Order: sequence, then C-alpha cells, then structure tokens
Amino acid sequence: MAGSSGEKKHYTSMCRMCDNRCGINVYVENGRIVEITGLKEHKWNHGRLCVKGRLGVDLVNAPDRILKPLKRVGGKWVEIDLDQAYDEIAEKIKKIQATWGNRAMGVWKGEALGFLTQEQLSRRFIHAIGSPNYFSNDSQCFVSRWIGYALVTGDWATQDFINSDCAVIWGSNPPYSQPNLTQSILKGRKNGGKLIVIDVRLSAIARQADEFIQILPGTDGALALGIARQLIEDNTICHTFIEKYTLGYKAYAHYAKEFTPERVEKETGIPAETVVQLARLIGSCRPRVCIYAGNGLEHHENGINNIRAIACLDGLLGNLDEVGGNFTAERPNLRNLALYKEKPLRHLGPIGADKFPVLYDFRQECHTMSLMDTILSGTPYPLKGMILGGANPALTNPNTPKVIRALKSLDLFVVREIFMTETAELADYVLPGATYLEQSELHYHPIHQIIGLSPEIVTFPDCDNEYIFWKKLASRLGVEDYFPWEDKDALNKWILKDTGITVEKLFNHPEGYEYKPRHFHKYKEKELPTPSGKFEFVSSYLKEYGYPCLPEYIPPTYMSEPDPSHPYILVTGARKVFYTHGRNRNFKRCRTAIPGPDIEIHPIDAEKLEVKTGDMVTVTSTVGSMDIPVKVVHSSNILPGVTQITHGWKESNVNLITHDDRNDPISGFPLMKSVEVKIERKADEVNK
Amino acid sequence: MRFITMDITKCVVCRNCEYACSFQRTGDFRREDSNIRVEYHDDVKVCLPQTCMHCDDSWCLEICPASAITRNARTGAIEINSERCAGCKMCILACPFGNIHFDKINLVSRKCNLCEGEPNCVSFCISGALQYTESENYYQNNRQIFQRFIENLSKDDQQ
Repeated sequence: MAGSSGEKKHYTSMCRMCDNRCGINVYVENGRIVEITGLKEHKWNHGRLCVKGRLGVDLVNAPDRILKPLKRVGGKWVEIDLDQAYDEIAEKIKKIQATWGNRAMGVWKGEALGFLTQEQLSRRFIHAIGSPNYFSNDSQCFVSRWIGYALVTGDWATQDFINSDCAVIWGSNPPYSQPNLTQSILKGRKNGGKLIVIDVRLSAIARQADEFIQILPGTDGALALGIARQLIEDNTICHTFIEKYTLGYKAYAHYAKEFTPERVEKETGIPAETVVQLARLIGSCRPRVCIYAGNGLEHHENGINNIRAIACLDGLLGNLDEVGGNFTAERPNLRNLALYKEKPLRHLGPIGADKFPVLYDFRQECHTMSLMDTILSGTPYPLKGMILGGANPALTNPNTPKVIRALKSLDLFVVREIFMTETAELADYVLPGATYLEQSELHYHPIHQIIGLSPEIVTFPDCDNEYIFWKKLASRLGVEDYFPWEDKDALNKWILKDTGITVEKLFNHPEGYEYKPRHFHKYKEKELPTPSGKFEFVSSYLKEYGYPCLPEYIPPTYMSEPDPSHPYILVTGARKVFYTHGRNRNFKRCRTAIPGPDIEIHPIDAEKLEVKTGDMVTVTSTVGSMDIPVKVVHSSNILPGVTQITHGWKESNVNLITHDDRNDPISGFPLMKSVEVKIERKADEVNK
Repeated sequence: MRFITMDITKCVVCRNCEYACSFQRTGDFRREDSNIRVEYHDDVKVCLPQTCMHCDDSWCLEICPASAITRNARTGAIEINSERCAGCKMCILACPFGNIHFDKINLVSRKCNLCEGEPNCVSFCISGALQYTESENYYQNNRQIFQRFIENLSKDDQQ
C-alpha cells in the first residue's frame, strides 16, 4: 500500500459514491484511508459532501471486501491465484469463441468500479476480441433521456441553474440522486429564480418548490404538450429561434393544439387552471429557463416521446444554450478508446440492435433485457460468456427471476466486484475489483467545463485496476496490441494527448481545470448535430424507422386499458440518501438510518387495504409477487392509487415484479415506473 | 466569531446534517444522537434545521448548578463539560429553543460545540441551508428565522 509512513498523508480526488464526482480530500494513515472530507476549492461542490461521500472510507476498508480471486468449485467458492484465474478465464473464452463464434462473448460495464475510462475500456476489449456485445445498465437508465434530447437538439444540455430565472425539476430528486446539484438549484432560487418541481411524489427538492405539480406516472408528455399549447396561445415563445433554427414547428404547433388544459387535466390529473398558470410562469421567465428531465421519465412504455415533448419546450422558449438556460456544454477533446470507427461490428448483430436500432445508433448500447432472452433461447445466436464489472443486474434489472435464470445458464460468467453481490453469487469466477480510490481516472463536469484526474491513493495486491485487468486478459487472448500502454498513467496521457492538457497540470488543479471557457449561443455559428442541423420538433430519422416523427403522446397502459385485477400503480426507483442503486446496503451505519425497504402508500389506500405502517403486504404484478412492509406516507407525498418502492433491496426486491418485455418502442427501456399491481395485506399478518 | 446560520428557504430536510453530527459523535448514523435537529411539517412544507445559537446571553450557562457550561474563548461555542455535568437537565429546561438534548447512556446533557470550529453539519449540508459564517448579529438572524418558522406554522392553524 502507498503512504505507509505513519503520519497523515493528504490527497485530493473526486468522489465516486454516486455520479456527482464531488471534489474530496482523502487522508491516509499507515497506508490506510482514514478520512474523506469535501474539498473546499472544488468548483462543483465547494467543500460540501453528502454522507454517502464519507462512506468511501467504509467502502475501501470494508471487512467483507473481496480481496482474493474466487472460483466456484462444486457449488463452493475456492480462493485461487490471480494469474491462474486469468489463465483459466482466457482459456474458457477461447473455447467459447472456437465453439460458438466471437459474438458469443459479451461484456457488461457497471458503475461500482469506475466510470468514463472504464466504459471505453470495456467497449475496446469486446471489439478487440471480435464481438459487438457491449452491455451496461445504460440500456435502462440515463440513455433514454440522452436519446430523447439528442433526437431534438443533437445533444443533452446541462442546466445553468445558478443564473436561472426558472428551474423546472421534472421527475428527479437531486438532494438524493445528485446531492450537490441542490446547491446550484437553490442558489438560483435565492437569486430570485422560481423553482418548479414536477413529480409523482413530493420529493425532498419539492419541499422548497414555489410550484409543486403532482402528476400521474407516465403522463408527462401530455403536460409538456399542454405547456407548449399554452405558450403558443399566449405568444410567449421565441420567434427568432423558431424561424431561424428549428424544423417542423408548424406540424408540432398543430399537434400541440389538441392538448387543451382540460385534456391535460384528464390525462395527467393536474387541474386545468394549474396547467395554464404553470405555462404562464415558465413563459414569463424565458429565456432563462432550466428544465432538467430526470430518471422518473424513463421506465415507461412512452418514455422517449414524453422526453422529446419536454425537450421541444426548449425550442419554444429559446433557452437552449442560453445563460441561465439549458446550456450545451462543450466536451474536452479526449481521445476515445472505443473501436467503433476502427473496427465496426454492427454486421455481427449486436444484441437488441435489430429491435431497438435507435439505442444502438445513438449510444452503441446492446439491450440488456433482450440479452436475457438471447441467453435463454439461443436466438438470434448463442451468447455463452459474459464478463461483468461492478454491476448488479440480479437486483437492478427488471424481471429478476429471468435475469437469474439467464446468468446462471452461461457457460462462463466472470464478475469483478468489491463485494459478493446478488449477481456475483451467480458467477463462475469472482475477481476482486479496485475502487475509485485505487485507480486514477479522468472526470469532467460539463456545467463548469472543468476536468480533473483522480489519483491512485492506495492499492491492494490482487485488486487490479480496470486497465490492468483488460490488458492482462487481452494479452492472453492475442489482442495485446490494443492495450499497448504500460499502465493507467500512460493510458491517461494518451487519452489527454489532443487536449494539450498534461497529467501534471490536472494534479496541480484539484479544483477542476477549465478545459475551455464557457461560450453560449453556439448554434448561431455552428449547426446543431441533428440530421437537419436544426432543432428538430419533428424527426425524419425516426420516421424512416417507422416511428411517428412528432413527439406523439400515448397514454400509459394503466390508463388506456385499466386492469381491474391490478388496480394500483407502482412506481419504482425513488432514491434514498445513503444508497446508490443496489449499493451500500452492507454498511451497518446506513442500516441504522434506513434499515430496510418499504412500500409508500397514501393514507386513503392504507385505510382501504386495512394496513398501517409496518404491516406486511404482498404486491403482485403480471410478472410475479413480493412481500414488503408498508409505510403510510403523508397525504401530500403521493397520490391515492399510486405507490412507490425503492430498488436495490435484496429482502424485498421490487424487480421481481417489474416488466422486462414491455418496452418503450424507440429506446427499448423497460416498464418499471407505471406498473399495474395488486396489493393485499399478508394473510399471516391478518391472523395475528 | 463565526456561527452557524440557517436558511429555511434552502433546507430540503435531506438530514445529511443530522447523520453527519451523529457520526461525528458516535460513529453511527442515528438521528436521535445528533445535536442538530431538522423539523419538517408536511402540512405546510416548512423545513427548519435547529442547532444551538450560542446565545450572547446564555440561559443554559447561567442556570447550570454544576458550572459545567462555559464559552469556548477560541470558537465562541457554548460547551458542556460532561465530566462536571450532573445530569440535572436544568439547561434543557432553560433553553428557549430546545437545542440541548439528553445523552441517555452517559446521563448528561449534550449540545453543539461547533466541532471545535469546523462544524460537520455545515460541511455535509448539500443544499447550502447551513452556513458557518462571520456574523455580528448572528443571534438576531437565527432568532428571526425561528420567528418566521413559528409564524408559518401558526398560519396553517388559522386556516
């Protein structure tokens, strides 16, 4: 281990306990990380840190960490030598390739081990060995918002909250999901800006909202179109932007006409007069309006078009790439490790690209839901081997029973992990992973256009970092030429080469190095990266694939075809302050604060079901059932008939009842946030 | 002197401050072990973090029969010396804001000591509601916030 001198050594880095990447101080004593605090000079978090950030100390020193390679022998784990593990895994990969072809191998990137470089290394490796099958949780999180916005503007803008006159937080709860975004949002409000929160639940950020709009799950597109109609009627739109820089305004405006306040009320449950007021408030603040679309908008059967409908508001308001608006940040000119240009493999049929071509076109993501079907059925071709790092689909992918069946039936399943997760338990080999404190990685914050490098602070003997892992495996498979860099430092230098920024410079700027000053209204000088070069209210690209070219609103199935045997609507995935998806449940301190799962239920429903907080209920969808304790929330927190369960709890895993095969037709995202369910008080509880 | 100020227009009741304070004191995330408490009222959506105001005119200090309460000359914090505290709870009764709590294990009173000049609750406040700032009339400031909070609550009662 590094830093074993006895005195306290100080490092600066970036937190990776969630994706916020706050600046941190890390203190090392006798080679052990003993303290993590917020880094005052960092431009993103200004020294503030959430409690998850401090848990990095728990993570790196956890007594239940996997520190030795494990091999499953006769149903039991046996510790083996690291080189032996690499040799055996490589031999098995070769055998799969020889028997079933290169595309029978896949990789799956998780987020527990790293981020940007890790993703590109996984993509590079799988293409190097001749398979197009790169997977990640992105085919069910984040990417459908990216696609929804990219279809309209060619990119997904970031929000300049601090300078905003009106911040709209739509389907997101930053205090728990992106903690330090909260500072900027509330600073903007303190400067006189309005805060509008649109959500199914009264979330933490909604507590400070000037307007909290409680909406029925999956109906957001109707509201967005209703706002559009009102903005157009009130003539609070930016004509110059529309005329000069947009495509399809007429068709879009014509379509939006259908969404009268009364129709919107019927679709979304929001009173007609509220819709009008909301549009007027937003319209009066233009162009300094920030709209942030959250994860709550994904996981629906109509997700992409709902998100597109929201993205289209930027075209009316003229807030795109505006100070205090949705700022289209420029990225640093980093070299890309992925091989899509050098070695395109689309002709080999990346899994899911036939059914969801847009997902592959935009993000080169294979579809993890289709993957499970492919593994189980062998169609369109067999997939026999998978190397997964720092992800936990056995808990976080929809339809858990199918996921477990599929992953168990692989010929080779290798998991790299920090802990023995529900997914690692299904593996043939579990290799110890390195945390973010054990490897250097490049990170950037688009909103400030700053870049930073996190250092390797400590190391553990058998926990290879991401680069070394792929390099060692590649060298055993005859593709070492793709991994020529000696170590991660050499790799970082190569990635940075075209930027003119040196590794030394980044280490000298722990506050974040500005790779380019912010510059607004870039669309005036350079076309938007869409097929037409314009802001697209209509998409001929989508039309070519047979999708509607307008962001057409289709009501969620629970509204269009109500199922009386499953009368409640279940939303999943609301974040908790301590937990990042499936992670951190093994830290005892977190369990003190939030001991376990619950289903949030409105008092009216609790009365109907004759349950109180703590009672067990059985929740059933057409996929399956699960048991979970009840939490009766305040009547303002959730609408009657709507319930919420947070994901990531092994003891009450909500993905036992979510749908993997009811997908958004464009992105392929699964239905996890407007699931029709039945709720029953548990029989044995009734008898007590 | 620097003091903790509270902005009720920024607090989102994420409770990071409570967990951080509890962690500083006990190594665990038990809200009841925290010296800072965040009040939230669902009906009116009012959020109020409450921690010791280290009053100029400290009634707790004056009333303590064991002389266990003193002001730290360096940080300005009103502190309880748990070695001297007899656990009589007079200070808890005397505090007009309810910012002194009872340590049920050690049977002594406990309160915020500004973490020796680096308050954890502020470092872990992700909304910016808590600030540790140089202020002349900090007491006035916090008093006003508290007043506004009470007004908001009673407004709801009248409706």
